Amino acid sequence: MTKKVFLIKAAELRPGCARKIDIEGGDLALFNLEGKFYATSNLCTHATASLADGEIVGGDCVACPVHFGEFHIPTGQAMSFPCTVDLRTYKVIEEGGDIYADLDEESEEAASAI
Amino acid sequence: MCKNEKPINFKPPRQKAALDDLDQYVNMAEGRMSRKVFWERDIYEQELEKIFARVWLFLGHVSQIPKAGDYVTTSMGEDDVLVVRQKDGAIKAFLNTCPHRGNRVCFSEVGNARGFICNYHGWSFGIDGALRGMHESGAYEASGFDKSQHGLHEVAQVDSYKGLIFGTLDPAAPPLKEYLGDFAWYLDTLLDMDGEGTEFIGGCVRSVMKCNWKFGAENFAGDVMHAGWTHDSGAKAMLGGAVPELDKCAGDSYHVNVNGHGWEFNLDKVGNSATFGDKEVRRYIHEIQPKVAERLGHTRSMMIGSISSATVFPNMSFLPGQNTFRVWQPRGPDEIELHTWTLVNKSAPEEIKERYRRGTMITFSPSGVFEMDDGENFEYSTRSNRGRVTREQDLFLGLGIGTRIEHPELPGNVFQGQINEANQRAYYQRWLDFMKAESWDELPQR
Amino acid sequence: MTITTEIAGRSAVDAATAYQLETFLKREARLLDTERYDDWLAMLADDIHYWMPSIESRRRANNGGATHLPGRMAYFDDFMEHLQKRVARFKQPTAWAEDPPTRHTHVISNVEAYAGEAEGEYLVYSTFVNYRSRVETDNDLLIGRRTDVIRATQDGLRLARRKIVITQTLLQAKNINTFL
Repeated sequence: MTKKVFLIKAAELRPGCARKIDIEGGDLALFNLEGKFYATSNLCTHATASLADGEIVGGDCVACPVHFGEFHIPTGQAMSFPCTVDLRTYKVIEEGGDIYADLDEESEEAASAI
Repeated sequence: MCKNEKPINFKPPRQKAALDDLDQYVNMAEGRMSRKVFWERDIYEQELEKIFARVWLFLGHVSQIPKAGDYVTTSMGEDDVLVVRQKDGAIKAFLNTCPHRGNRVCFSEVGNARGFICNYHGWSFGIDGALRGMHESGAYEASGFDKSQHGLHEVAQVDSYKGLIFGTLDPAAPPLKEYLGDFAWYLDTLLDMDGEGTEFIGGCVRSVMKCNWKFGAENFAGDVMHAGWTHDSGAKAMLGGAVPELDKCAGDSYHVNVNGHGWEFNLDKVGNSATFGDKEVRRYIHEIQPKVAERLGHTRSMMIGSISSATVFPNMSFLPGQNTFRVWQPRGPDEIELHTWTLVNKSAPEEIKERYRRGTMITFSPSGVFEMDDGENFEYSTRSNRGRVTREQDLFLGLGIGTRIEHPELPGNVFQGQINEANQRAYYQRWLDFMKAESWDELPQR
Repeated sequence: MTITTEIAGRSAVDAATAYQLETFLKREARLLDTERYDDWLAMLADDIHYWMPSIESRRRANNGGATHLPGRMAYFDDFMEHLQKRVARFKQPTAWAEDPPTRHTHVISNVEAYAGEAEGEYLVYSTFVNYRSRVETDNDLLIGRRTDVIRATQDGLRLARRKIVITQTLLQAKNINTFL
């Protein structure tokens, strides 16, 4: 079963950038890491903060803009203090220049991470 | 002794200790000043307000914070500040205190951060000072809290001159360039020898002296005279001989000052550099001097390592060619924090930089063979004034009255002869100007 | 029963050696207390490196929270020639801040000795309390730890390396007119 929702057109989000996208039941953060798209929940698991407003660091992590804890974007894993709870990730689907997320599936990286 | 008979040069205590007496405290035309400016708490509080809260103060060197998020903490008077490199390369400074309940925000001296989080209630600030979030943020939202109004308090103006970062807490202060005025011409001797700029060697030595902050500043502004006496032991240890009698070559030496900033020097090229007793450092100065002459002219090229010292009003000092660089941070009328660094030309060979690091350490640091004797002088020049009657006895600062000359090349006020107190007088005159002036418009050009 | 102590693959020295090393450090402290600086210099190896870094307060996230690193500002980063110059100043009659003399006490404790990296060298840890008094009211207290390399030579033990780490980032004294 899939719950596929349209996010944006791929051309609208440049590599190295992130955007907050309103979806039903909460916000989602979409990241473009060197042309590959990743989606996570936008709310930091530590405190109230929009991760899409954070800084992409070390190529594949996002630093929360409020307390500067980091998450690994592809897997959602909490990487540094004060974040301890992993982020929810979503499977991203690219179709003809459109970006979708499957809200029922985790990212492939998260699914395969131990 | 009959009761009307008083020793000469002895004043009884006055009852009044008031700020409206300031003109009597500093009479530079006569070379006479009161000791009260080194001791009295109400004068000190006025200094924090009239001087430290207004003038351009040294905050750091750009080389200390090269990357976005790099920061150093320091103070402006007794106000603690955080100096941070921004993402766009600009430098901002903030009071190091949380606007919520006032706790200190950053406890480290130096580092790199994405932002600063107050330990008390978790207020989190970006490197731009903006409030990003708070612990329990929902409660703030419920009370209609506007984050944009509660960032870190920003230092009114920050600017730099050839690598030196300055800030002023006064939005009405004139631009830094104007504040330095013609003194910048002299500063280039230190900061712009070859167009490659300067840098601080890593780290800082911080120590406490129980002295008034002005003693160190006036000493570096003009007092080379103390070197031959105070530092005789250091000179003999480092050089195997006494400091030469500088008055004998007064023709080639000067006091110059601009708006209270002072630089005393001769033109011997390497005198200060020689204090390390290190041939390689002297050789370095000899080697670079011809190129400096091409860039800055012969006179300034002969100042790069000469016997000299300087103070930028009110509390930043250095020894050209010797390269100790320091700030006398006030901590009450009778205590300072002395922060010292070593400044070097970026282009200097690594081995020369290393020699400067060791050289400044062994001469002008708390363990240095020169500074040890300075510290005691500054402390006891301060402490004697605790005596209620002692405090009423004026101090002499009249050496070299009448030595002012016109010079075809040197800008500012020029005085013949390095053994002089002209710069110290100019320093205290400027001190008086600031203490009396209610606004920048009232300040005379000196 | 034999008790062996190892740290990072190094063995603690035997009791007789430990006693000699500890006596060496106590003697050194006494020479410094009594301003016998030439005798003190004679306890040092010619290749001495005597290092007392300036201490910085940093967040743990920066440089692992290291309080000191080589090549930065220091109180001492001396070789023999530098130490000799410092001693030369102490001996001048014009060393004003030494006359009247400062009264010193160096207290040495927590001595821990291991075999060193080179043959005939020992790695010796210790802590110190240094209390200096001058004229009526100047009293300065410094506390810290030292890491020494002490070398056995034909002429006896010699101090070859010393690292001195004090607790203060802001030195609560106008000078350090002693050795630690």
